[in-house]
Amino acid sequence: MTTRFEMDGAVVLLEESHALPLVSITILSKCGAAHDPSGKTGLARVTTRLLLRGADGLSATEIEEKLDLLGAEASDDTTASSTGLQVQAIARNVEALADLLSRIVGAPSLTEEELARLLREMDAEQLEQRDDDRTLAERGLRRAVFGDHAYGRVTTRESLSKIRLDDVRGFHSRFFTRKNIILSIAGDVTPDQARRLADRMLSRVPPGEPVPDPTPEPVQKVGRRLLFVDKPERTQTQIFVGSLGTSAHDADHYDLVVGDAVLGGSFTSRLMREVRSKRGWSYGASSRLDMGRKRQWFYAHTFPKSDDAAPCIALELDLLEKWAKKGITPREHAFIKKFLVRGYAFDIDTASKRVQMAEDIEAFDWPADHHTAFVAKIKASELGAVNAAIELRIKPADMAIVVVGTASEILSKVQAAIPGLASTEVISFEDV
Amino acid sequence: MPDLHKRTKHEIEGAIYEGALAFAGGMIERYRLKNGLEILVMADKSAPTVSYFTWYKVGSRHEKPGKTGLAHLFEHLMFNETETMKAGEFDRKFEESGAETNAATWFDWTYYYESLPADRLPLAIELESDRMAHLVLRETQVASEKEVVANERRFVVDDSVEGTASELLYKVAFEKHPYHWPTIGWMQDILGFSPEDCASFYDTFYAPNNATIIVVGDLKPRDVVTRIVTAYGDLPSAAIPAEDYAPEPQQTEERRVSIAQPTPTEKIVMGYRGPAFGDADHAALSLLIEVLFGGRASRMHRKLATELEIAAELKGWVSTFRDPGLVEMYATVREGNTSKVVLHAMDHELERVRRELVTEEELARAKSRIELALLRSLETAAGKAEQIGLYATVLGDPAGAMSRLESYRRTTVGELRIAARRHLVDARRTVILVTPENPTEDAPRSPVDAEVS
Repeated sequence: MTTRFEMDGAVVLLEESHALPLVSITILSKCGAAHDPSGKTGLARVTTRLLLRGADGLSATEIEEKLDLLGAEASDDTTASSTGLQVQAIARNVEALADLLSRIVGAPSLTEEELARLLREMDAEQLEQRDDDRTLAERGLRRAVFGDHAYGRVTTRESLSKIRLDDVRGFHSRFFTRKNIILSIAGDVTPDQARRLADRMLSRVPPGEPVPDPTPEPVQKVGRRLLFVDKPERTQTQIFVGSLGTSAHDADHYDLVVGDAVLGGSFTSRLMREVRSKRGWSYGASSRLDMGRKRQWFYAHTFPKSDDAAPCIALELDLLEKWAKKGITPREHAFIKKFLVRGYAFDIDTASKRVQMAEDIEAFDWPADHHTAFVAKIKASELGAVNAAIELRIKPADMAIVVVGTASEILSKVQAAIPGLASTEVISFEDV
Repeated sequence: MPDLHKRTKHEIEGAIYEGALAFAGGMIERYRLKNGLEILVMADKSAPTVSYFTWYKVGSRHEKPGKTGLAHLFEHLMFNETETMKAGEFDRKFEESGAETNAATWFDWTYYYESLPADRLPLAIELESDRMAHLVLRETQVASEKEVVANERRFVVDDSVEGTASELLYKVAFEKHPYHWPTIGWMQDILGFSPEDCASFYDTFYAPNNATIIVVGDLKPRDVVTRIVTAYGDLPSAAIPAEDYAPEPQQTEERRVSIAQPTPTEKIVMGYRGPAFGDADHAALSLLIEVLFGGRASRMHRKLATELEIAAELKGWVSTFRDPGLVEMYATVREGNTSKVVLHAMDHELERVRRELVTEEELARAKSRIELALLRSLETAAGKAEQIGLYATVLGDPAGAMSRLESYRRTTVGELRIAARRHLVDARRTVILVTPENPTEDAPRSPVDAEVS
């Protein structure tokens, strides 16, 4: 059971477990990439990563060495609605780690020299992403589903080049404040120790003011739109078919979760059975409902060889239509409820997973019982409500279809495979 | 090893108790059935779940040229039909129980696992014992899974720059040993398999005396072993053929290959002929690689990425194979730089560790990082079972991860330098240089066209 308390405005979450001498700590601001200024996408991530590049008289090198010596590893995690540091460490060193984190979060150096170095590193990472076709397809899907909305923005080499030190300092001073911070501690610590650690880690963080999320609800785009990301010499394609999905505040959220699981949430799902098991077209075939503070996306994902791309898209659209119009069957419904209810054990089998759930509720303003009610809600789900939720939320006629492939070889076939195609945009993989 | 004082407690009809080993705060109990099946069971009450792993001592090293990828194809075929169960029923039964299932294949082994809510464990015992002996291999299923694997190969090798380079590295570094060919298999071999090939492989290698079952979780060991005896006790053992391959000859000069790929920057993929997992040098060399490549404070990262800004990503690791493998290194070159410059800088750092001692603090940092990595791998029942299975299968030591941790703690800076001198020898390395594709240049597109220089 996760314990929640507040410490001068900051939310602190504790999940105690002495199964292993391991501690996980997350320091998260409730403000993320959606707060990036226009044209400077990437600022939230840059700010968080720069925290580790010098603080309170310690150089970046000294911080890195101290973390290693403590048996700790830090990484950054930025979503549209949050950004922060995740640290895992050997439990015997957690007191020293708390001292170090208090300096990193409360008194980061944020220097011109380290910012310039970081931006050059991130520029190189942007370039390397061009090797990863799945990442390219996801970037395309973001653009195709959300358009100009904040959730549609992706970090680019150009947007990184416009970030200045004043931007970073401004982001840090406004958003890394107690009233915007969630501090999570999970693992081999006692409640008393956790309170002391939290107090120490937050000791140099100013109170600040809560910052509202400026993001409006995304709007569903209409029609079937093909975004073809052209890359030479692909023997295989990456295909996403997507639209807006669910919100934790929807009354039918859990019903849609049930429906999505039947479509592509398990190894025996409809997509897996039709695309992989029957036809062998793609190694993976799945669908997913992502979650955020506002409505996030729904998508189906496959990666067939180039020759199979067009028939695979046609099949997926057909499966989507049948799923949305006819719904799922009583047998599928009964089956998937057991899968989801019994499988929940693996969502909560470690302390770090359990605290992460509580953290998501705080970070994304989800209902307090979003996770704890999961099993009861799924058990109570009724077939009619599931099918109504699918029909209401997912419109096969309004899908973005994103393909990474070689346009000269398959574009016309892909276009022909999409009934009612409203528009086609072809962009180079270097521009997505 | 047998604990005579506890013999009565552990006596189970049909199973021979072989002792217990301390592991991560628990005890692994070891049993063996008369048909040779090894059972390793450990109670872990940290969550109401259980993980059931079956490790088979068969991997791509047991294949023959022309039939590569067969061990991995089984990773797919084993989820199909058995004599008493229709295709698809295996997955349906597990999913209905809320289970996670998967499998993995590598050079030396193949494993299958299920993680289930603790009360569903009997299902894993029933279905795993069934597919160990009663798999049905029909043309339709073999044909479909061949297509799936061909698509998997396109995903992880053919359309992946790193995958292509890594496959080429092993192809060039090993000329005689079966580590020469990729576990996923050559494409033409994958597409050529017949049901008869599969049946022959299954009959040869899928037998209780070629397997180890590892069960970890919220369980009572005695109950679990009793159930396993009932389910597996009557399965016949098989005559596992003696391995028949040539040891890899000594490498006496560097091998270097250049390939062009559709990638924006140059890459270096490099492998030194390294020790086997069970070699006494393996721990020291792993720590040395951690000093060189582990995190942003490591020597390679600090020098090449932070100070010189000539490389973006830098990775290194020591293979954990039964036979001597490779010490692998990977670098992506920053835009505007060349692999020649980056390789020169890497060579400089490698020469330093051969010549000078690393500092005591560097070694302490590497030890802490490796300890953290081990702890993270043990967070779940599945993580614990996987570690037990790897060490049991490759080294015959189920608690080997714990003794390896002790080895790390004892290792000295002097041992790191000796390991560097023994294994990081330029005449015994293979270097793959990846250049961005440019039609005006002569570098070959495909590894098939590449020439060893």
